[in-house]
Parts: sequence; C-alpha cells; structure tokens
Amino acid sequence: MADNSAPGTIRCVIVTPETTSLDTRCRSVTLPLFDGSRGIGRGHAPFIGRLGAGEIRVSGEQGGAGDGVRSIFVEGGFVEVAHDDITVITQQAIPAERIDPASARSEYDKVAGSRAVGDEAIDAKFRRQEAARALVRASERTRR
Amino acid sequence: MAKARALDRRRKSVRNIRKITRTMELIATARFKKAMDRSVAARDYTKQLAKILENIASVGADVAHPLLEIRPTKRAAVLVLTGNRGLCGGYNSNVVRQSMALVGQWRSEQVPAQVAVSGKRGISALRFRGVDLAERYTQFEDKPEFAAVAPIGRAYLDAYAAGEIDRLDVVYTRFHSIAKQEATAEMLLPLAPPQAASTATKAKLASDEYDFHPSAGTILEEILPASFLARLFKCFLDAAVSEQVARMVAMKAATENAGGLIKSLSRQYNRARQSQITGEIMEILGGVEALKK
Repeated sequence: MADNSAPGTIRCVIVTPETTSLDTRCRSVTLPLFDGSRGIGRGHAPFIGRLGAGEIRVSGEQGGAGDGVRSIFVEGGFVEVAHDDITVITQQAIPAERIDPASARSEYDKVAGSRAVGDEAIDAKFRRQEAARALVRASERTRR
Repeated sequence: MAKARALDRRRKSVRNIRKITRTMELIATARFKKAMDRSVAARDYTKQLAKILENIASVGADVAHPLLEIRPTKRAAVLVLTGNRGLCGGYNSNVVRQSMALVGQWRSEQVPAQVAVSGKRGISALRFRGVDLAERYTQFEDKPEFAAVAPIGRAYLDAYAAGEIDRLDVVYTRFHSIAKQEATAEMLLPLAPPQAASTATKAKLASDEYDFHPSAGTILEEILPASFLARLFKCFLDAAVSEQVARMVAMKAATENAGGLIKSLSRQYNRARQSQITGEIMEILGGVEALKK
C-alpha cells in the first residue's frame, strides 16, 4: 500500500461480488457490527468482524465534500481492519441516498406484518425485520 | 452466361454472410471486453474472502464445518453452464461432452445425479442425449448478476445441509487467458478447506494478531457460504467471458474463410466471363469470314 496521501487518514475499501464499490481515504469510519456500531480511526487494533445490517458512515473523505459524511447501506458481511486499512466484504452495498424511503418503509411494514411459525421462521423474521428497520433508518437519516 | 451469373450470385451471398460474421465478431469483442471488466472487478471480493479465511486458518481455529466435511457420495448434483446461442465454435459442445462424461461416471457408479443446466444449447443437447434435467435456466446472458446467481447457490447450500446432495460439480468453460479456455468439471461442494497462510506471511500475521468479533468459529460459519457463492458466481462469469471469446474467434475465422471464398469465386467468375467474351468474338469473326466468301 503506497501511502502517498495526506497523513492522518485511513483507507476504506468496500468490495461486493460484482465490483469494488468504494475505495477512498478518509478520517474515520463507523461500521455496523453485528452487535452495534463501532467507530474506526487511525491506529485501530487489527480485527476481523461480522457486520449486521446498517449504515457504514465514512467521514472526512479526502477529495470529497469537506466535512460531509458518505453513508452506505450494507446487509451483513465482514470487515477486516489492519494497518489503517479497512476492507468491507459484503454482498450488496447501496449508497444511502439512493434508497427510496417510501419503499423501504413499505418493505418494513410487509416484513413486520408477516406471520412466522416455528423457531427458525421466527428467527428469520426477526433478522429480516432488523434489516428492514436499518434500511428505513438509513434512508430517513439522509433525507433530513 | 448462365454459369457466370450463378457464380456472381453466389459471390454476392457470401459477401453478405461475411458482413454478418464481421458484425458478430465486433459485437462479441465489445461484449467480451465488458464481461472481462466485470470478471476483473469481481476478483477483489474473492481475494479478500480468501485472505480472511487464511487468517482464520492460521489462527488455528477449529475449521470443522458441514460444508468442509467430505461424505461418501450417495447423491450427486451437476450444474452445467452453456450458452443460450450457438455460432461460437466448440464452446457449447465441449461443455456438453465434459458433462456427459461426468454424468456417465455417476451412472456407472449407480449414483443418482441431479442435473441442472443453464443455457438453451446445453438444455437441448443434454435432452437429446437422454439426460433428465432437474432445473433449466435460460436467463443468464453475457452479464450474469450476483443477485440472480445467489438464489441458485443458496438452494444448493440448503440441499447440501439437508443431505439431499453429497457433492456438487459445476461443468463450465474456465477462462485462463484470451488464448486459452477449457471446459472443466470443478467440485464446489464440499468446499476445499481453507489453507493456513504460508510461513512467510504467517510471520507478518503474527505481528497483527487479529481480534475476532464474534469468535473465529462463528465468522468461519458465515464466511464459508459466502465464499461458496463467490466461487459459483466466478464460474458464471468465467463461462460468460469464455463464450464471448469463443464467439469472437469463431466469427473471425468465418470472416476470413468468407474472404477466401470470395477470392476464389471472383477468379472463377472472371475466367468464365473472359471465356464467354472470347467465345462471342470467335462467333463474330466466324460470321465475318463467312460473309467475305
């Protein structure tokens, strides 16, 4: 990794099966881990973690809009953090501003209204509900 | 005159065919470039997944997982990836030949095999050879999408977990380089166990000492299906790229062949026309001689 950029920044890469959807340098990143958000700054201890559904928030992006925050919605995946290098591996990454709040809301209502019978189905329903809720939250936050 | 005119007509039709094959070659070239770009863009994902798997393996986590466990094959599954269209040389027939060999092998071992085929060409070829097809897909063209491949992969994962299949082979055309593609049968399930990092990289890793959230085992459990889906997706991408390369090469050969044909037809036509003119002159001269007398 050639470090020819401004000091104090970290590299954030998001890869999906189809393409590398983001490769940028920034000041900090907030990741939606499976058990809650975690902020990553410079010099973070290396770790590998599982992601839940939620927003990845990239702040202080270089060459970006100054203090603007870029927000990307992911539904599960993995993250590897090492040497000021964050690699997110996920099956789908949607820029939050591209999510339609109305359709996210209706998707949530559909999942919440569905009936699940049996332990496995109930677990699956909760997972989907959680993901749908995170999607709604991500879409509404960017609208504000 | 009749012969010369027939030759001319043939030459015209060959010219038209050459126009078509040249256009097809150009289209295949453009599609190949796009498919190749997609395939290159997809490489990062597989690479990063492999890196994490390597890390987990070198931490010495317990790498026992149902997807890694090799069971005696009682029921097999075969997925054949062919094209929807022909005119691409031996692309489809090579894959069909490979898959027939595999199906024949399961037959001789008396293992029931569930065969799924993608691509109209493969569907008709295998049906003609008397193979029962469990699934048929025709929606994959030159740009397979992960969202379309994933449900197929998940169905295989579920069937494998439920013990409905003990092994999955994918028959497709593997893309090595633009000059080399070969039809291969690759075993995707059970998965090959992750290899621990080599000693050189291990020394580097030791200084990192990754934390795992949650545990290495849980991450492994989640990452293996993802890595299977990525590998399956890569097979689809490879098949798409190879199809375009095969079509490009076949159409290039067809265009060149048409050029040669036109050349030889032109020569024949000119000769026929010349001899006809000579004949007419001889007739006129004969008439003049006759009038002189």
